[in-house]
Amino acid sequence: MATVTATAPDTRTFAGTAWSWITTVDHKRIAVLYLVTSLAFFMLGGLEALLMRLQLATPEADVVSAERFTELFTMHGTTMVFLALMPLSAAFFNLLVPLMIGARDVAFPRLNALSYWIYLFGGIFMNISFVAGGAPNAGWFGYAPLTDTAFEATHAIDFWAFGLQILGVSSILASINFIVTIINMRAPGMTLNRMPMFVWMSMITAFLIIFAFPAITIGLVLLIFDRYIETSFFIPEGGGDPVLWQHLFWVFGHPEVYILILPAMGIVSEILPTYSRKPLFGYAVVAYSGAAIALVGFGVWTHHMFTVGLGPIADTAFAISTMAIAVPTGVKIFNWIATLYGGSISFKSPMLFAVGMVAMFIIGGLSGVMLGSPPIDSQVQDTYFVVAHLHYVLFGGTVFGLFAGIYHWFPKFTGRFMHDGWGKVHWLLMLIGFNLTFLPQHMLGIDGMPRRVHTYAADMGFDLWNMMSTVGSLMIGLSFLIFIINALRSIRHGEPSGGDPWDGGTLEWTIPSPPPVYNFAEIPVVDGRYPAWDIKRGGGHTGAVATAPEAGAEADEPDIHMPNPSYWPIVMAAGMVLAACGLIFHQAFILLGAMLFVISLVGWIEEPAG
Amino acid sequence: MTLANGDANRPVQGQRSTPLTYRRRIHTALLIPALAVAALAVAACGVTPQTTLEPTTEAARTARDLLMFVFWAMVVTFVLVEGALLYVLVRYRRRSGDGIPPQTHGNTPLEIGWTIAPAILVVIIVVLTVPAIFSNARAASPDALKVRAIGHQWWFEFQYPDIGVVTANELHLPVGRDVEIQLESNDVLHSFWVPSLRGKLDMVPGRENKFTIKPEVTGTFPGQCAEFCGTAHALMKFYVVVETQAEFTAWAETQRAERVPPTSDLARLGEETLTLGGCVACHTIRGTDSAGVLGPDLTHIGSRQHIAAGILENTPENMRAWLSDPQGVKPGNTMVIPELTTEQLDALVAYMQGLK
Repeated sequence: MATVTATAPDTRTFAGTAWSWITTVDHKRIAVLYLVTSLAFFMLGGLEALLMRLQLATPEADVVSAERFTELFTMHGTTMVFLALMPLSAAFFNLLVPLMIGARDVAFPRLNALSYWIYLFGGIFMNISFVAGGAPNAGWFGYAPLTDTAFEATHAIDFWAFGLQILGVSSILASINFIVTIINMRAPGMTLNRMPMFVWMSMITAFLIIFAFPAITIGLVLLIFDRYIETSFFIPEGGGDPVLWQHLFWVFGHPEVYILILPAMGIVSEILPTYSRKPLFGYAVVAYSGAAIALVGFGVWTHHMFTVGLGPIADTAFAISTMAIAVPTGVKIFNWIATLYGGSISFKSPMLFAVGMVAMFIIGGLSGVMLGSPPIDSQVQDTYFVVAHLHYVLFGGTVFGLFAGIYHWFPKFTGRFMHDGWGKVHWLLMLIGFNLTFLPQHMLGIDGMPRRVHTYAADMGFDLWNMMSTVGSLMIGLSFLIFIINALRSIRHGEPSGGDPWDGGTLEWTIPSPPPVYNFAEIPVVDGRYPAWDIKRGGGHTGAVATAPEAGAEADEPDIHMPNPSYWPIVMAAGMVLAACGLIFHQAFILLGAMLFVISLVGWIEEPAG
Repeated sequence: MTLANGDANRPVQGQRSTPLTYRRRIHTALLIPALAVAALAVAACGVTPQTTLEPTTEAARTARDLLMFVFWAMVVTFVLVEGALLYVLVRYRRRSGDGIPPQTHGNTPLEIGWTIAPAILVVIIVVLTVPAIFSNARAASPDALKVRAIGHQWWFEFQYPDIGVVTANELHLPVGRDVEIQLESNDVLHSFWVPSLRGKLDMVPGRENKFTIKPEVTGTFPGQCAEFCGTAHALMKFYVVVETQAEFTAWAETQRAERVPPTSDLARLGEETLTLGGCVACHTIRGTDSAGVLGPDLTHIGSRQHIAAGILENTPENMRAWLSDPQGVKPGNTMVIPELTTEQLDALVAYMQGLK
């Protein structure tokens, strides 16, 4: 059974289309689901940020209440990290990893769908809290004992703790899937040493997730025990220690920073060579420095805790490891600049975002070195200086990098360009808005404004910087609106792009846009790092890719065996999230959720694989 | 930014066919940083009482000096790296008729070079950092004044065990003498931070953190809780008053004493209202029946410069506002005030203003 057309649902009706998305196991469609959902959450997190900025624009303002403000900054951080940036990276893993390694799908297509549905339901679950008695309000790193029932008796923290557990399952499943895919499903001839840099960074990120998430999983289990069955892992009165939570959180939390930045680095490492028509400079060093960052990233976590009072020996040790991580990071930047050196650089909007990523990430790296020195950190820790630093890394770095990726691969998703002129307007507005928002926050921190304050007094000298910051944040909001309108318009009315609009070097540019369900009519044979360039420039010996069909090849669909659609992933995800609801709303949900889970497990196993 | 722009633009100038348009572009490019500098200058004129850049102790000075050194090192790095990036972008922009550029794949000596360069820079920073870490953690001299600072949601309690003083939200310290401050918490995490005296150190329930400073300058310095501790985190402030040894001794003498008995009828009514109104459950006023320990010790509340944990100046109007609507002034706070008549409110304010 199951040629590509045999099982396709009837997409002429709305119900048929919806059903085809609900049951899809195609990595490209799952990528679209991830992309759309994560951008929606990105917008939500952005609105939360704008509300905070409006509150802080002037001293002693009353735009939102103090209670609401604590919810806003907690959910802004949690949403951006877990519901926007990680899944946005996952959209790229989904779209690109199989295409770049010359595979027809990921190793476990149904597991891939399951990861997505768990993410979607987990994200909704966490945000239901806003209308179900109060949103999480202890900060995105939820320091004990503020998360204990003694200080937060409502379910606000439970939404947060169960929500993160659910999202962790999604991340770990996806990571296992991509590691297996990358290790086992590369096209013939694509050695590790020839993998596109984005695939390298995806693999390193997946390993990071698998090793980092267990720490927060354990932390959250202990927290849930503390809250539900009155253990006291983090409660000093019962012999526990709040600092234990900080260790567990940051053993996860610091690698998490690299989980967020490495995919963007991978994207930039693909885009810079494409638009300067030169291979990535120092390929091996860029790959190894990524691995080095990941490895050392597990040994720097207490630099988030320099003011906890761990003592001078611990502070010294972690200051040294923190400084050490600046070296591989610097190496990456030098290699990117060397990639551009001597090239023929074209400034299309994807390239502008990629260059913006490099330029802004440098600033985040430099302020990171300042924070790595404990005496300096003791002054600016927990102030707006840290807020500025982390946004230069995660917005200047990750968000710019991911937008570069969206503009670059949008034609691959849709077969159409995004409007380049409006893309450049988006870029310029976002670049100016971003710097206007976060550059002044360095000064606020040095002038003594703590983070997570819902207000400040008029006589503190914080007014001007805060007003600048708010104006900048509104510019970012506007630039995002321009992006959304541009993207929506371009899906239907964008200029047709053809299969290879940017003169790309990697395998995804050898097939039509949007790619056929089976990706490659014939699995390519690879003998270089830029097989598409080799073909186009006649330099390589890559065989099969040369025969890649252009759009319109659908007339003679080859008979390729693809996995069947399945509705079990969405049922299983629903079961898991319902069970979590049971611990908050009513115990009956636990039973219902467990039943759904078991039924879907049986259904999943019994389902013919295609 | 200005410098980087200039560097990157210069080599291009000669190659352009229309230098006039180009010059206009330079002007636009310079305008933005110029405006930024102007804004900086305006802001710098403002008063920032809580700044980290005006240290008054060895510890704060060490942090400031290190911050300035690393900051300038980072500025130099910034200019070099961003300058190189901009230069390359402008110099190698695509021109019509460009073919495929030479395909370079790497250069081992160069790559070793730019691995070593940042390594040298961070080694220098580490070498300067480590002694500062240890000097910030120095032990107190034997004659040091000992203070216990205890964090509460959302106020600071200060105890001087050796001289029998207990107060809140206003820490008095003698100038020129070692002070060892021991940090504790009564509920959640807080952080003790007075930027002009020292970097912050957390107040962790179940642990005792300690640091030593020697204040060098008299004056009043603002501080603030720097670890998120719940709804009113932003409103958990305090002041440190550094004074001469004689002033400090006199202050301690006053603080040790029992409360000043009320002198007017109104104030006497105030004391009565306070006792009957349930305030005693949480507050201590030594010399009366009030002996609660959940809220700040009010024995000498009238002598403090601020009320409500450093957020309001201690005036009769502010005291009245605070007592009329504690949750409005400080959201989340648990002070319960029973229904008061205007007269009772007047009496309470008069009484507490008199508790010098």
